[in-house]
Amino acid sequence: MDTFLAALFSGTSRGAIYALVALGLVIVWRGAGILNYAQMGQAMFSTYIASTMITNGNSYWLAFVVAIVVGAVMGVLLDILVMRPLSNKKKTELLSSESMRAAIPVIASLGILGVLQALAGIIWAAEERGFPAPYAQEGFTVAGNVMPFTSFDVFVITVVLTTLALTTLFFKKTGVGLAMRATALNSEVARLSGIRTNFTRSLSWAFSGAASSLAGLLITPTSNLSPNTLDLVLIIGFTAAVVGGLDSPAGAVIGGFLVGMVISFVSFYGSPEDVFLAILAVLLLVLIIRPRGILGAKDARRV
Amino acid sequence: MLEVKNLVTSFGSVVALDGVSFTAQESKITTVIGANGAGKSTLLRTISGLEHATSGSITWSGKSVIGMRAEDIVRGGIAHVPEGHAVISELSVEENISMGSLFRRRKFKADVTAAQDEVFELFPRLKERRKQLAGTLSGGERQMLAISRALVSRPKLLLLDEPSLGLAPLVVEQIIDSINILCRTTGLTVLLVEQNANTALGVADHGVLLSLGKVVADRPAAELRADANLRAAYLGY
Ligand SMILES: Nc1ncnc2c1ncn2[C@@H]1O[C@H](COP(=O)(O)OP(=O)(O)O)[C@@H](O)[C@H]1O
Ligand SMILES: [Mg+2]
Repeated sequence: MDTFLAALFSGTSRGAIYALVALGLVIVWRGAGILNYAQMGQAMFSTYIASTMITNGNSYWLAFVVAIVVGAVMGVLLDILVMRPLSNKKKTELLSSESMRAAIPVIASLGILGVLQALAGIIWAAEERGFPAPYAQEGFTVAGNVMPFTSFDVFVITVVLTTLALTTLFFKKTGVGLAMRATALNSEVARLSGIRTNFTRSLSWAFSGAASSLAGLLITPTSNLSPNTLDLVLIIGFTAAVVGGLDSPAGAVIGGFLVGMVISFVSFYGSPEDVFLAILAVLLLVLIIRPRGILGAKDARRV
Repeated sequence: MLEVKNLVTSFGSVVALDGVSFTAQESKITTVIGANGAGKSTLLRTISGLEHATSGSITWSGKSVIGMRAEDIVRGGIAHVPEGHAVISELSVEENISMGSLFRRRKFKADVTAAQDEVFELFPRLKERRKQLAGTLSGGERQMLAISRALVSRPKLLLLDEPSLGLAPLVVEQIIDSINILCRTTGLTVLLVEQNANTALGVADHGVLLSLGKVVADRPAAELRADANLRAAYLGY
């Protein structure tokens, strides 16, 4: 029973973070039609910046906010400096096939991941370092028993759920949110409605950058920080996004929690080495049974 | 006045518009007719900024729109309802409509509401269905929605691409009537593209006949309609 509860709690707090990562991937996928492999590289980079700030005596909270802003700014820069020029039809006219043209930004994002990891290695040295949590990471004690749930877990879940709720409200209730959804769903109709789609697309990148930086800040206290530590998180987040349906933000969140649970239960009841296999099994299972994911649209418009 | 001069638009080696010139008078309905592939859609898409002209000029009220981005051309008062009931199926009817006035929502808050009420008055069926997803609407309702989305941007010039395509005759009549009323009562300028020449010429003041990217006739609508030779040669009936 204790193991079960421990797995459940850990799955919830891990799942919350994966939901955030998956949401970041889905928003850029919908908004720009690009799978951004550099996403957790951006998160790693901004978490390093936060780490350096804290080491230099700044408060955790200042570093926290700066890292998220840096994540958003990096997203926008990536869009404006790399992705927008690359998806310019005129400049890529030489490539005859549509799928080749679509592959360019994806390859570019892989390249940027490599550059970010190399840069981080040069600036901060490649060995692992710890990253602080703002709240205790020891379990609560109830009637003398140590529970498998920490104040930090409560913090993680609260922050993520609040972020998800605010995001939903933003997309559903504000004009800018409507403009972003319209751009993602049909950019030609959006432009004909007077929506500046370059701007709304950059906003998607900003949002995704901020969300993944937040995920980086929340996961590194339990996994340490190195240029490559977030690679696995990207793979898990990607699995979560595919499981939920790559074009569905709500699906990304469900997928995140689901994958978090699977990972947690496998590592509590099996061995940590089985985790990667379990993720692959989930991914394959979904791709075979329901390729569009739990909430994905029927016609995979952008494949 | 909309003035198109020597307009050329090509896709690679395909010249879709091959030196098109005509004018559309303000507060009138001008229709562009022609067979499939004549270049009608390309003409509208070039005016609204979705395609780039290779050469030639397009001016609206004396101002050139060449080189402007589509999103800025709408803001300048030219709204385009593209071919094929262009609405966003995953958004509600209400959201599709307010999408068209997002850029005006700060400066003209009261008028945005007024514009929305007006299109609901014009197409009451949309009002009943305003919480529904656009994807659940019938073809006719979708066309009404696409037109509404364009109207709430308060255009001076409305570009309509085959609004009758795939719709039942009764619905076509209803939509064409609404456009006619709008033009006559509000002074809206309309550029109506149709393959359905009879319907279009019946309502329009002026007609431009396009064939393989060239203007082959540019005359008052009634005259065009009466010309059996032209009809036989270019429209095939
Ligand atoms: N995006 C495009 N790429 C290549 N050719 C196009 C494109 N759009 C239109 N064309 C070509 O331009 C010509 C005119 O097309 P279009 O303007 O759609 O005609 P219409 O609307 O009168 O049926 C056709 O030969 C068509 O094949
Ligand atoms: Mg056409």
